[in-house]
Amino acid sequence: MRLTLGPRGLRARIVLAFAVGALLVSAVLVTTTFVLARSYLLDQRETAVTRQALADATVLASRLSTAGSEVGDEIVELVPSGGADVVVSSDGSWYSSRLDVGAQDVPRDLQELVGSGTAGTARIATPTGPHLVVGVPVPAADVQFYEIAPLVELQAALRTLTAVLGAGALTATVAGALFGGWASRRVVQPLEQVAGAATRIAGGELEIRLPPTEDPDLLAIVASFNSMVDALASRIERDARFVGDVSHELRSPLTSLVTSVEVLGARREELSDRGRQALTLVEGELGRFRRMLDDLLELAQVDGVPLSASAEPVRVATLVREVLLRRGLPPDLLLAAPDVDTAVRGDKTRLERAVTNLLDNADRHAGGVTGIQVERQEDAVLVHVDDAGPGVPRAERERVFERFVRGPGAARRSLPGAGLGLAIVEETAIGHGGAAWVADGPAGGARFTLSLPRAAP
Amino acid sequence: MGSSEGLRRTLRSSVPLLCDRVTVAAAAVGRADRDGSMTSVSPRLLLVEDDDHIRTPLRWALEDEGYTVAEAASGEDACRQVTADAPDLMLVDLMLGAMDGFAVIREVRREHDLPIVVVSARADTHDIVAALEAGADDYVTKPFQVKEVTARLRALRRRTGNAGGSERPVELVLDSSSSSPLVLRPERGTVHRGEEQLPLTLTEFRLLCELAVSAGRVLSRSVLLERVWEHGFFGDERLVDVHIRRLRTKVERDPSAPSLVVTVRGLGYRLDPQ
Repeated sequence: MRLTLGPRGLRARIVLAFAVGALLVSAVLVTTTFVLARSYLLDQRETAVTRQALADATVLASRLSTAGSEVGDEIVELVPSGGADVVVSSDGSWYSSRLDVGAQDVPRDLQELVGSGTAGTARIATPTGPHLVVGVPVPAADVQFYEIAPLVELQAALRTLTAVLGAGALTATVAGALFGGWASRRVVQPLEQVAGAATRIAGGELEIRLPPTEDPDLLAIVASFNSMVDALASRIERDARFVGDVSHELRSPLTSLVTSVEVLGARREELSDRGRQALTLVEGELGRFRRMLDDLLELAQVDGVPLSASAEPVRVATLVREVLLRRGLPPDLLLAAPDVDTAVRGDKTRLERAVTNLLDNADRHAGGVTGIQVERQEDAVLVHVDDAGPGVPRAERERVFERFVRGPGAARRSLPGAGLGLAIVEETAIGHGGAAWVADGPAGGARFTLSLPRAAP
Repeated sequence: MGSSEGLRRTLRSSVPLLCDRVTVAAAAVGRADRDGSMTSVSPRLLLVEDDDHIRTPLRWALEDEGYTVAEAASGEDACRQVTADAPDLMLVDLMLGAMDGFAVIREVRREHDLPIVVVSARADTHDIVAALEAGADDYVTKPFQVKEVTARLRALRRRTGNAGGSERPVELVLDSSSSSPLVLRPERGTVHRGEEQLPLTLTEFRLLCELAVSAGRVLSRSVLLERVWEHGFFGDERLVDVHIRRLRTKVERDPSAPSLVVTVRGLGYRLDPQ
């Protein structure tokens, strides 16, 4: 059953368990020690007082046996040690060694017990502290002798003992908590190592392994973790190799096709009408096939290769101008761009691909781009691509960036594309630490935005 | 000081020659010899490709573009033909049989300076850099269009000194600090260290010319890509880096500590006449 109360963290729970354990053990020890010590000390004191009382009673009895001696006089002569007082009952009259001590200090049970001829003890509480009363019958003089000894010293000793034991228990509890903390660190440390390694592996460092250990308790987890990473790494490698192999296998026949169709294209005039139509169709489909293959490989690459290898400073505004130039679009489509500081760190070719794909997307679904703006923000550079199309409905705005999703208005025939363009845009943005999204354009239509973190100046 | 004055003067006169790029229609690409004379013979290209489903249509398409094409289906055959026929250009697939494309390029580069374009199935691998290191001048990735290939080949065949006009020989002294000075003669297409002619490939030579024309100024990688390979802004800058490396092994006195062609971090390269 899971503990629902108390702290949630494993370490906190271990610390708490150790502290509570130490507290319980020390409490039992302290209590036992206290009880034993107290009863031993009391016994000792009782024995001592009883012995004193018997001695005093004997002295009193021998004095009273001398003719003419009075109880009241003889009591005063007795000087018991340890500040004890003496009370004597003789024929119903009470005599005491001090004025503030008397019959009222001797419990009735003890009076009856001693009256019946048996010695006994009792403990009483007085305003000056607890006292021990020892009663001894003295049949020779026909008196009952009581000695009232204070227990204050004993009480002080017990109080000191309590304080020492309490401090000991507290120390044990704190030590338990500290030990618990140390032990929990020992327990959690391998877990933290595993977590750290897992984080780095997720970040792409597939060569990370846990260091070998001699601890038999950790052996299993280290071994299985490392073999899991081995399996993962070899799987990723296999996937990457598969993409490479497929690309090579597809590219060779495609090269053959493209080249042959080019040869045919150069002889277009020699073909019949129908032959020319078929050639046009083949040319178009081949182009589409080629783009799809490129897109797929691009996506596989964006997925697989960490960016750091190819990162360089890229000026976004310059990049957009070059893309426009390359596509034969008028450069004044770039409506606004800051002159300086549009540099981001990244792969120029991939960023070009992303911007190109946004332009392609506008061509396919919205009749072309109406304007591009490069905006510089505090820590990002944004590229807005506006079109005058129908826009993207709110519900579709996440979905358009998924793979193989084509716009609703896209009739397959007239709008070639594998539905990978925007997926590549998004993957590229994420790969660069940025983002891509679509919103309503300022003049209707859609505004696709590519956001990239600014390079440190 | 005197030599750098002289350099500047001769540079100025050579600028129009070096920068003059005539766009030659594909079918009319003339064969130009090293000394700059033009003939009307179509360029002879050796096509090295083991897959005949690619080789045959590619040959047709290249012939349509005005090239005289010889085929080689294996690396060994390619080396034989280069020695026997001395073609003007080579198009080499990297995936061949026993002797692969890298070995072919290395073998050919021992004796020949002709432009070599590599055909690769993938642009993202280290294959490209390895092929460039072996001595290739440029590359295309499958599937390509023949127009892309011919554009690359045309760019690589452009000469620096054959564009008519001034016939005056121009000498650029790049390094006069030692007893055997390094002398570039753009019009003759030669580089000498003292009496010895250095074995630069055409592309290395053109790269050196571009750097020499702008001596003392930094040229960015994209500018060099544009001027030497005629690639645009999005060209592969590895081309420049690898060729600079190869150039240095030939013209620098100590290639591990270059002083003539220096790297300007984050900007590009600069030639400092010594």
